[in-house]
Amino acid sequence: MTQVPVVQVLDLKKNYGETQVLKGVSFSIYPGEIFGIVGPDGAGKTSAFHMLGGILDATSGDITVLGKKPRDTRLEIGYLTQLFSLYLDLSINENIEYVAGLRQVSKNDLKERRDKYLKLMDLDRFSNRLAGQLSGGMKQKLALCCALIARPKLLLLDEPTTGVDPVSRREFWDLLASITQEGVTVAVATPYMDEAERCHRLILLHEGSIQDEGRPQELKDNLNLKRLELRSNDLEKLSNRLHTSIDKAQAHFTDIQEFGDRLDVLTDNLNIAQSIIQKESVGLDLSISAQEPTLENVFVSKLKNAEVKETTARFPFVQKGAPSNSTAIKAEHVYKEFGSFAAVKDVSLQIDYGHIYGLLGANGAGKTTTIKMLCGLLQPSKGQMSLGGEKGNLRSALLRKKLGYMSQKFTLYDDLTILENLEFYCGVYCVPQDLRSKRLNWVLENTGLLGEENRLTGNLPGGWKQRLSFGAAVLHQPEVLFLDEPTSGVDPLARRQMWQLIRDFARQGTAILVTTHFLEEAEHCSELGFMVAGELVAQGAPGKIKAEQPGSLIELRFKDNQAAYNMLKTKLDSWRVSIFADAVHLVLDHPDIELESIIENCNSQGIECFSSRRLPFSLEDAFIGIVKRQSTANAEASAA
Amino acid sequence: MKKILTQCKKELIQFRRDRLTVALAYFLPTLAIILYGFATRLEAKNIPVTVRNYDIGFYSREYIHTLFNNGQMVSVPWSGTKDTDPLDLGKARAVIIIPPDFSRDIRNNHSASVQVLVDATDVNNARVIKNSIIATSQYFLRSGAMEQQKNLIVPQVRLWFNPGRKESLSVAPGSIAVFLWIFPCLLSTLCISREKEQGTVLQLYASSITSFELMAGKALAYLLIGISQAIVLIGSSCILFQLSFVGNGLVFALATILFLASSVCFGLLGGSRTNSQSAAVQLVATTGFTTSLLLSGFLYPQRNILFPLSLLSNILPARYYVEACRNFFVRGSGFFDQFYILVALGLAALLIFNGARKVMSKMQLSS
Repeated sequence: MTQVPVVQVLDLKKNYGETQVLKGVSFSIYPGEIFGIVGPDGAGKTSAFHMLGGILDATSGDITVLGKKPRDTRLEIGYLTQLFSLYLDLSINENIEYVAGLRQVSKNDLKERRDKYLKLMDLDRFSNRLAGQLSGGMKQKLALCCALIARPKLLLLDEPTTGVDPVSRREFWDLLASITQEGVTVAVATPYMDEAERCHRLILLHEGSIQDEGRPQELKDNLNLKRLELRSNDLEKLSNRLHTSIDKAQAHFTDIQEFGDRLDVLTDNLNIAQSIIQKESVGLDLSISAQEPTLENVFVSKLKNAEVKETTARFPFVQKGAPSNSTAIKAEHVYKEFGSFAAVKDVSLQIDYGHIYGLLGANGAGKTTTIKMLCGLLQPSKGQMSLGGEKGNLRSALLRKKLGYMSQKFTLYDDLTILENLEFYCGVYCVPQDLRSKRLNWVLENTGLLGEENRLTGNLPGGWKQRLSFGAAVLHQPEVLFLDEPTSGVDPLARRQMWQLIRDFARQGTAILVTTHFLEEAEHCSELGFMVAGELVAQGAPGKIKAEQPGSLIELRFKDNQAAYNMLKTKLDSWRVSIFADAVHLVLDHPDIELESIIENCNSQGIECFSSRRLPFSLEDAFIGIVKRQSTANAEASAA
Repeated sequence: MKKILTQCKKELIQFRRDRLTVALAYFLPTLAIILYGFATRLEAKNIPVTVRNYDIGFYSREYIHTLFNNGQMVSVPWSGTKDTDPLDLGKARAVIIIPPDFSRDIRNNHSASVQVLVDATDVNNARVIKNSIIATSQYFLRSGAMEQQKNLIVPQVRLWFNPGRKESLSVAPGSIAVFLWIFPCLLSTLCISREKEQGTVLQLYASSITSFELMAGKALAYLLIGISQAIVLIGSSCILFQLSFVGNGLVFALATILFLASSVCFGLLGGSRTNSQSAAVQLVATTGFTTSLLLSGFLYPQRNILFPLSLLSNILPARYYVEACRNFFVRGSGFFDQFYILVALGLAALLIFNGARKVMSKMQLSS
C-alpha cells in the first residue's frame, strides 16, 4: 500500500518489572481499515492499546499516530476501554455531554452529533436513562457513541464485545463497518476468532509477539490446508482409531481436533486423507464435509510451530460403581425471583452422567444464578430439582463430596506455593492418602509445572492459574462437575488441552456443566442451552441446533459492500443482513426463490454483485436467528 | 476553564444521583455532633460515692452533708461484706471511710483523718474526685465551727467566656471543626479513587484534560458540597446547643471556605495516592480523624501537646479552624486578631491542592 499509515508501530516493547508483556512488536494501520489485534487474555493487547492511546509509556520502541506521538494526538483518538469507562450513575445524555466537555466539542457540534449517533445506535429513546440501567449491549453502544462524539480519526476499541450477547455483538460490528465508511480508522482488540473474521487485516498476538499478520482470507489460504468435519454415531471410537492406528504423516493429517459432536481433521491432501478416513471408519456411521480452515486453526498451527508439543497425561481415575440413576442434574420448570426481578424463568434441563452441557449467554442472562441453583447454593423460587439422585437436601455433606466446582473467580491462595495449594484441596476434598501423590503429579504434569511446585501461586500467569485451579477442582474425581467460565484467559493451545481433559472426565462418567461466553467453545459440548434474559431459548446438540435453522446463510461479494448492505437493510429484516470485511452475509429462509431477485435488484441499482455462495451456519448465526425469530413472533403475538 | 466546569458539573450530578451518599453527607455530621455535644462530658457530674461512717457524732453527719451538697457526687448506700466492696463491684467510684473518733478529734482540735479510696481506672475523673473531696473538706473546715485555721489568701476565681461552664459551648465549636474536616474529605476521596477503581480514569487519561483541570473541577464541586454541609452542620448545632454568633462573621466565613478547601484537597490527595475506594477511605479517615481529634486543640489544649508532636499540630488546618470556631462562637475576637488563621488555612489549602495535582500530573498509567 502506498497510503500513509495512521498508526505506525516499530519494535514496541513493554516490561512490567521482570515480565515482558510485549517483545518487540511492529505493525502499521492504514486509513479506513478495521485492524484487529487478536489474541487470548494476557497476550499484551491491552498494554499495546494503552500505549497507542498515549496513557502508558513504552519501555522501548516507537509509536507514531497521525504523524505525532500518541500523547500529543489524544484529542484525535477515540478510546473505548475494556470496562467502557462509563459513569454508571450518569444518564446517557450526561455521559455524552461530559466527554464532549473534556474533548472540547462545541455546543452545536455536540447536539448534532449526539442526535445522529444516538439515532444510529437506536439509543435515542433512552437518552435520560442512567448508564447503570442499560444492558451490556447498550452500554457498549453508548461507550462507542462517547468515543465518537469528538470525531476521532482513530478509534481504539479494547475488547469492546466482552460480556455482550451475540445479537448486540453482531449489531456492533455492523455499526463499525458504517463508521469506517466515514473515514474513521478502527483498531480493535479481541479474543474472539469469529470477530477477527470481520477485520480487514489483523495480527495474531501471543505472549507479546506477533505470530501472523494479514487479511483473514489470506491467513487461511496461506495455511494451505483443508478442514474435514467428521460426524459419527461413535465419535470416541473414530477418534481412537484415527489417533492410534495410523501414521499421521502418511495419512496427511496435520491435526485432529475433537468437538462435542464432531471431529475436525486438518489435511494438506484432501483425497488421501478422505480415503484413509473412509477406510478407518468401517462399521461406523460417518459423514464427512470438507470446509475452509478457521482462524483458530491458523492460530493453533502457528503456536504449535512456535512451541514444544503439548502433552496430556491421563488422570489416574479410580473405577467407581455406576450411579444407580443415569441423570445427574435435572431441573424442571425452575424459577428464581429476586424481589420483582425474575432472574431465571421456567428453565428445564437434564444432564446425564458422561455428558458435557454448555450453558451460554451474555453477562446478566442468568447463567450464574442457574448454576448456583443447580449446585444447591441457591434455593429456587419455584420448580423441582434433583442433583446426583438427591431431591431434597442438596447441601448434604455426602452429596457435596461428589461435586466439583470451579468458579469464575475461584482463586488459589496467592501466598501459598503450588504444592501447598494442591495439598490443601486434597485435604478439603478428602482425597485418600494413597492417591494423593499420583493426582498431584497429574496436575503438575498437565500444567507443565513439574519441578516448579514450590513457586508461589501468585507469581503465575493467569492462564496457568486457571489450569491449576481446574486441577484442584477435580482432584477428588467428582461425579458432577460445575465449571464457570473455565477457559477465560487461557490461550488457544491450552484451551484445547483443557477441553481434552474435560472430555476425559466425561468419558469416565462425570456429568459436566460448563458456562462460557465463547460461542466457538460451545462446539466442544455434547449439548448446550442458550439463555437470554433468564430464559432458555434453545437447547440441543450443536450440530442439531445449526441444522434446525430454517433457510441458509449466503455470502455475497459486491463492488461496494457498504452500499449493498445499506440497501439490503431496507429490504429485509435488519438481522438478516450483516457486513463483513469484504462480504455481506444474508440469512434467507427460501434462498432458491429470494436470492435471484435480490441480486438482480442490486445490479439494477448499480451495485454490482461478484459472487454468491452458501455458507454453513455458525452457532452465532443460529442463535441470532433463534432470538430474532422469537422476538418477531412475540411482537406479532402482542400486536394481535 | 470550560473543562474545569465540565468536570465540576459531572461531579455534582454524580453526587446528587447517589441518594445514600447525599443522605449520609448531611445526616452523619449532624448525628455525630449531637453525640459529641450531648454525650461528651469532660466535666464529672453525679459521681457515685459510698460513705462508711463509723462515727456517731455531729461533725461526721455535717461533713457528709457538705460532701453531697454541691451535686457533684451522689450517695450510694453501702452493701456487701468489706468496706471496699462497692468499689470492687463498680457500684461507686469512691469510698469514704470516716473513723469512729472523727467527731471527737475535731471537737478537741486534733487533726481528724478520713480515708478516701478512689477508683482510678478513669484517671481524669479520679483526679476530679480527689480534688473535689479535698476542696469540700477544706470548705467544711472553714465554714464549720473551726475558726482557728484562717486562710490568709483567698483566691477569687472567675470563669470567662463560658461563665455558666456550659459544656456544649466548649465541645460544639470544636466538634464542628473536626467534622468539617472529616466528612468533606471522605466524599472527595471517593470521587477520585472510584474513577481509578472502576477504570473510568483511563478515559480521562486518554482525553487532553490536565491534572490541574481535573483536580480543580473536582475540588470545586466538593467545595460547594462542603459548604452546604457546613451550613447544615453549623445551623443544626446552633439550634441544638443554642450557640450564638459573637465574633466577626466575615473572617469566620472565609476561614470556613479555606478550611473546607483544604479538607477537600486532602481527600483528593489521599484518593490519588491509592487505587481502591476502601484503601482511600481508610487512609483519609484514619489520618484525618486522629490528627484532627487529638492534635487540633479540640480535646486537649494546644499547650499540653508534647514537643515533636506540637510541630505537627501547628501545620494542621484543623488546629486553626478550631480556634476560628471558638473565636466566632465563644470568644468574639475581631478581624485583625485572627488574620494569621486565614493565612495559615489559605496556605494549607494551596499546598495540599498542589500535592494532589502533582500526584496525578503525568495523567497516564504508571509503568
